[in-house]
Amino acid sequence: MRNLRLSLAGLVTLATIGTVSLSTGVGANASSALPSLASCKTSIAANEFTKGKLTVATDTPAYTPWFVNNPSNGKGYESGVAFAIAKELGVANSNVVWVHEPFNASFAPGPKHFDFDVNEISYTSARAQVVTFSNSYYNVQQSIIALKGSKIVTHHTPAELKTYQYGDQIGTTGLTYIEQVIKPTKTPRVYPSLAEAASALETHQIDAIVLDTPDGQYMASASSGEVINAKKQNIAVQVGQFPSTGEHYGLLFQKGNKLVGCVNAAIAAMKSDGTLTSLQQKWLSIYTSVPQIKP
Amino acid sequence: MTDDTDVTLSEETPSFLAPRRKQLLVGRRAVVASTVSTVLIIGGLVAAFYLAPGGKVVRQDYFNLHYMWESLVGNHNKALFSVGTGLLINIRIFLIAEVFILAFGLGLAWTRMTRSPVLVPFRILAVVYSDIFRGIPVLLVFLLIGYGVPGLQLGYISNQSPEIYGCVALILTYSAYVAEVFRAGIFSVPHGQILAARSLGLTNATTMRRVILPQAVRTVIPPLLNDFISLQKDTALLSVLGVIEAVQAGTIFQESRFNSSGLVVASLLFLVMTIPLTRVTDGLIARDRNRRLATT
Repeated sequence: MRNLRLSLAGLVTLATIGTVSLSTGVGANASSALPSLASCKTSIAANEFTKGKLTVATDTPAYTPWFVNNPSNGKGYESGVAFAIAKELGVANSNVVWVHEPFNASFAPGPKHFDFDVNEISYTSARAQVVTFSNSYYNVQQSIIALKGSKIVTHHTPAELKTYQYGDQIGTTGLTYIEQVIKPTKTPRVYPSLAEAASALETHQIDAIVLDTPDGQYMASASSGEVINAKKQNIAVQVGQFPSTGEHYGLLFQKGNKLVGCVNAAIAAMKSDGTLTSLQQKWLSIYTSVPQIKP
Repeated sequence: MTDDTDVTLSEETPSFLAPRRKQLLVGRRAVVASTVSTVLIIGGLVAAFYLAPGGKVVRQDYFNLHYMWESLVGNHNKALFSVGTGLLINIRIFLIAEVFILAFGLGLAWTRMTRSPVLVPFRILAVVYSDIFRGIPVLLVFLLIGYGVPGLQLGYISNQSPEIYGCVALILTYSAYVAEVFRAGIFSVPHGQILAARSLGLTNATTMRRVILPQAVRTVIPPLLNDFISLQKDTALLSVLGVIEAVQAGTIFQESRFNSSGLVVASLLFLVMTIPLTRVTDGLIARDRNRRLATT
């Protein structure tokens, strides 16, 4: 009982802090002048969720190529980025703590239990009204995934693209792309997760999925096993990718979290010294050779 | 304080047993007591909602009028689907499923109650059926039918729309419940009625059709309507099959706007849809109770 009361009191306090920071932090702007990394190394502790630790959240399961099996092993692009940011901010690898945060919960009201969430979350201005995003750590393009030998693989002029039955995971920018750019005649199917969308593609319920290029490349790769035939061979193919729309991934923070300044400084440093590029080459290199198609 | 409670109890009890008798406690005290308790409870809930530390955030997230309207009508250019249009799918699926459930449920109940030794395998099947479909969560039935059947590659059967698979999942599940409701209704007719009908020379079938079913149906209407209210809400499960019905449209809105007002809109629409049916059910239950109590 006492424990319950204590934790209740804690929750109320946290909620109060959350509201206060919400009302005071509105002015914080990601694009304003960045603090120096040297000053960040000393000031960072004041803004950390757990003092002395960098608490990083992501969803489960964590997907290749963003993560490899386990977020905390430093493998995969997003895991690599998180550890590189920690290094820039002077946080030892052993002090990077990974926590589980479902995508849907990451933007729910109330206090967050992490410093930032790294989960292939695309920046949108509407989302940025509720949470704070870091600057881009990856620029995304959308691509089409279909079944090998299906009509869309060879017939994908802008007019032909409108005639297919699309499906996508809910809340993805791929779905937005379908509605805003492709504008198909049939209402797309929207699935709770990518697994259901893949299953629907596999069983011919939909003609194609529109997906971030790296995710799509993985789905179409032999090792994925998401879309397979009776012999367990991969039958998905990446038809091509659409031109960039300026979409990018950002790290997600509690609205107004002051830590974002230092993280942006770290990302800027990683961009200028080539760390980000080399991480992309290491984990995402196979994704640069995808053919372009017109929407 | 204790006195008050005792008084209320002793005066409440007989009125509960005989609803037709005029309530004993109609005086000012009752009016004052009910007003005070209503104001306290409702006021307390509203106050908690407004004064909670995160109240402002929650109000903004769930009751933003601008977003509620936007989610209701949708916005095609912003990839927002209309929750209102989505609800039409829920209503259509509900109406179609309901007809099949009634027919299939009655058939199941009938099968379980046959006496003929030849029909034993069907009776066993009917029992197994209702055990299985009352035992598996509806969500799993949706997933198994919606993703399993297309996976079988059975030509026509595997090439239906998710709306059809969802409808089938609802029919399979709810028929099992409705069959039990029918069975309970039929059992509620006193055995003497059957004996009387048979002694008048009516056949078994005629007895069922002319004597048992008319009485049973009256008894089962309230629980049946209850099942249908539940059915209306379970049409939301079509969302797991990729259909953009009301809840899915609200969730899409939530994920693209990071705001949950669309889900509140979906809830309100479901309320508008179910409240008439809940009121009718309550009315029927009250009428039936009065009728029975009046005859005894």
